[in-house]
Amino acid sequence: MPRLSFFRNKNCFKLFLNLPLRTKFILSFLVVIGFGGLVTLFFGTRLEHRTIFSLAQAKVRHDLDSARTVYQEKINDIRDIVQLNAIRDSIQRALLSQDRQLLLRQLGRIRQEFKLDLLNVVDGQGIVLLRTRNPETYGDDFSSDPIISKALKGEIASGTGIVSREALLREGKDLASQAYIKFIPTPRATPKAEDHEENGLMLLAAAPVWDSQGKVAGVLYGGLLLNRNYGIVDRVKDIVFKGERYKGKEIGTVTIFQHDLRISTNVTDEFGERAIGTRASQEVAETVLNRGEPWIGRAFVVSHWYIAAYEPIRDVTGAIIGMLYVGMLEKPYIDLRNRVMLTFTGLAGLCAAILLVILSSITSTIINPLQGMVQATQKIAQGELNHKVAIDWRDEIGQLAESFNRMTENLKAANENLIQWSKTLEKKVEERTRELREMQDYLIQSEKLASLGKMAAGIAHEINNPLTSILINAHLLLEKLAKTEKKDEFYENLSLIAEETARCSQIVRGLLEFARQSPPQKDFTDINDLLERTVTLLENKASFQNIKIIKNFEPNLPLIRLDRSKIQQVFWNLMVNACEAMPKGGQLTIGTRLAANKQAIEVSFMDNGVGIPAENLHKIFDPFFTTKASGTGLGLAICYGIIQQHQGLIEVRSEVGRGTVFTLILPLETKNNQITGGTING
Amino acid sequence: MAEKEKRKILVVDDEITVCKSIRQAILSEDQEVDMALSGEEALAKDRERRYDLVITDLMMPGISGLDLLREIKAAHPEVKVVMITGYPTIKTAVESIKLGAFDYIPKPFTPAELRALVGRALKQAETEPGLEATAVEAKIPAGYYYLIGHTWLKLETSNYGLVGVTHDFLRSVGIITHLELPKIGDALSQGEVCAKITDANRFQHRIWSPASGRVIEVNTALLHDFSLLRRSPYAEGYLFKIDLVALEEDLKGLLQAK
Repeated sequence: MPRLSFFRNKNCFKLFLNLPLRTKFILSFLVVIGFGGLVTLFFGTRLEHRTIFSLAQAKVRHDLDSARTVYQEKINDIRDIVQLNAIRDSIQRALLSQDRQLLLRQLGRIRQEFKLDLLNVVDGQGIVLLRTRNPETYGDDFSSDPIISKALKGEIASGTGIVSREALLREGKDLASQAYIKFIPTPRATPKAEDHEENGLMLLAAAPVWDSQGKVAGVLYGGLLLNRNYGIVDRVKDIVFKGERYKGKEIGTVTIFQHDLRISTNVTDEFGERAIGTRASQEVAETVLNRGEPWIGRAFVVSHWYIAAYEPIRDVTGAIIGMLYVGMLEKPYIDLRNRVMLTFTGLAGLCAAILLVILSSITSTIINPLQGMVQATQKIAQGELNHKVAIDWRDEIGQLAESFNRMTENLKAANENLIQWSKTLEKKVEERTRELREMQDYLIQSEKLASLGKMAAGIAHEINNPLTSILINAHLLLEKLAKTEKKDEFYENLSLIAEETARCSQIVRGLLEFARQSPPQKDFTDINDLLERTVTLLENKASFQNIKIIKNFEPNLPLIRLDRSKIQQVFWNLMVNACEAMPKGGQLTIGTRLAANKQAIEVSFMDNGVGIPAENLHKIFDPFFTTKASGTGLGLAICYGIIQQHQGLIEVRSEVGRGTVFTLILPLETKNNQITGGTING
Repeated sequence: MAEKEKRKILVVDDEITVCKSIRQAILSEDQEVDMALSGEEALAKDRERRYDLVITDLMMPGISGLDLLREIKAAHPEVKVVMITGYPTIKTAVESIKLGAFDYIPKPFTPAELRALVGRALKQAETEPGLEATAVEAKIPAGYYYLIGHTWLKLETSNYGLVGVTHDFLRSVGIITHLELPKIGDALSQGEVCAKITDANRFQHRIWSPASGRVIEVNTALLHDFSLLRRSPYAEGYLFKIDLVALEEDLKGLLQAK
């Protein structure tokens, strides 16, 4: 079963599964149709074959019967001739008187008239009295001949017999040479040592000639040599097959075999000559000649296949001496069969084709929507969520399509939600990342400040003692120099030492200021008032007279707990920085407001000064970072520390050439001992 | 003056270089200077001989400057004690004044600054050897907060106050030849310099601020007439007006006159 073996192979099965649905459908149908067709064809062919060939065989058997009848009739003809002449008075008399001339006159004419090959007379002892064909030869004994001996006993005898070459020669050289047939090598024939046949096969009949006393006075016997005599075979052909031809070839053929040798036939060879001299196949010869059974079946005769029937020819003693054959050309039957089969196959094919068309249109109604769905899913998979499956009938596929469209809509909605959500998420992540980064920066800065503070305190304390010694000794030396003549020589150097030591002392002071981590003393404060007071101080400072100060204070801010001294220092530092950033004058805008979340107060200082380059922006809160010629670089670091102590934040935004904004975010509620981003941003 | 008995000063610091430098700075014909490298040594020396002035570092291992101050004051209240401080101990320095120290001087300092202080201390020891704190206070108007021997603070509101110099400080300085006042806007911390007075000997005396805050007004009248200081140390002779930022904390280091 092709289907089973196909599925038995797992890979093939997989291959099959991977095929498109339409192909699968069609393949399956093809397999079913093919299988059905093949089975039908197989059995149909066999049935048809059997029917056609059994019909053909029945016909050929019947034809063989006809042939035998014709054959037998021919024998009967000869018998009739000899019988009728045997009872003629003139013949009786001539025989009794042994008047050979008279016999010859009368019988010679009859032989010629009836075209007998021999018509002889023997006397009562079987001695040849006259050969009408060869009157010169007579006197030989024929009494042992089975037919003649029968006739000598008073019976009319007839049949077929083998006539030896000697006997033929006595009848005439021409008859012997008519009988002589050289073998033509035939494939599948029984191998034989001889290469020719010199004896002849004859139809013979003998009738006794009575004397007046009722004794057999002699025998009249006639014969017809079958070798190269085509009368019988052609007559059978004419009667049975009526000369029908198929594609220029005789349909029916009849052959008389002497043993297995064709001696009379209308089977032709490839040149159209009668195939005299060829021999029957060994298989046929075995069956018919040796076993005496008839043979019916396909036979390869000379050059074509025939549906053939053979039967043995026996002599009067019953010995098989030859065969009678009738054959019908197989080709017409084959062609008929082929035609039938072709018609059958054609019809089957047509049916299959029609089925396929119907099938493909049916599968189309199933598969096209499915394909549409597949395309739709592919499009959806590619992100085209607007795609719809356009199927509007109400079978399962229609319902599926409808569900599918609904699903797509839901998917689209979900996707939109997801996009929206991911956008929000992205924003949140960004926000959180920024907060975290700020927190991290803040923590780093805090840690940096804390450790620097500790170090600074340590350094300051350790440096103070040597500084004291240096300062004192430098001054002592200066005092001593002042009293001597050589005042100028080292005075300047020493002065420098003293001055620079004083500067060191200032730096140390700054460091200690920065390092001083005394806990803030917090009181409830009106931040606007505190700012106002600080601004007043600034306004009185002569060096900043060309700076315009704008106050954007939000009224009625809640009181906030803070260390006024420290926060004021921050305000002061930021304002002084802002003013110093505007050496040619400018505008300082100071603003306060309640943070959006009402959890903190924001204080901003905006100048339109020189600005801070981006690369410096993250360094400004580092201790000792300064861009001013005369600065310790601690101002902003101290501010940072103070704001940190208040759990607040300092933000800075700046643009070179445009200005800088410092914003302090001071939480209204602070948690003890906790400096966290949450508090700062909360 | 040659007949006069030499003043005996003891310098206490755990660093010998500092000790030596200080000694060199104040050693003179009139002054004898001993050194001690620890509180323990100082106490031992104090038992051996009587010093007029002890200059001691505040931060020392073992017996600290404050302990030493207490011990000496307990044994000999008339001995003047000057504290040397590093910046981080300025609060302690202010506290030490409450405990009886004459004054303090932050490191690093010049010989002149030290000499000025020493001169002031010795002068006071000479003029008012047994001056009691209560006696000084008697002259300070009631309600005034003061940093003993230095400055006073008079509160106008909870945010503002006037700052001036106590009469005893002025007395220890003597004749004033120059006065240096802070500028408006200057940030001041309690215990740090807010003004300087130069005396006839050209010694510059530093005046410690009694409170923290920013200067919002300066008594410029003083600059034209130093005598205002002496004539009215607790009223017209005030130095400046301060915007107070850490009053609560500052008050811990001050006394209030009754």
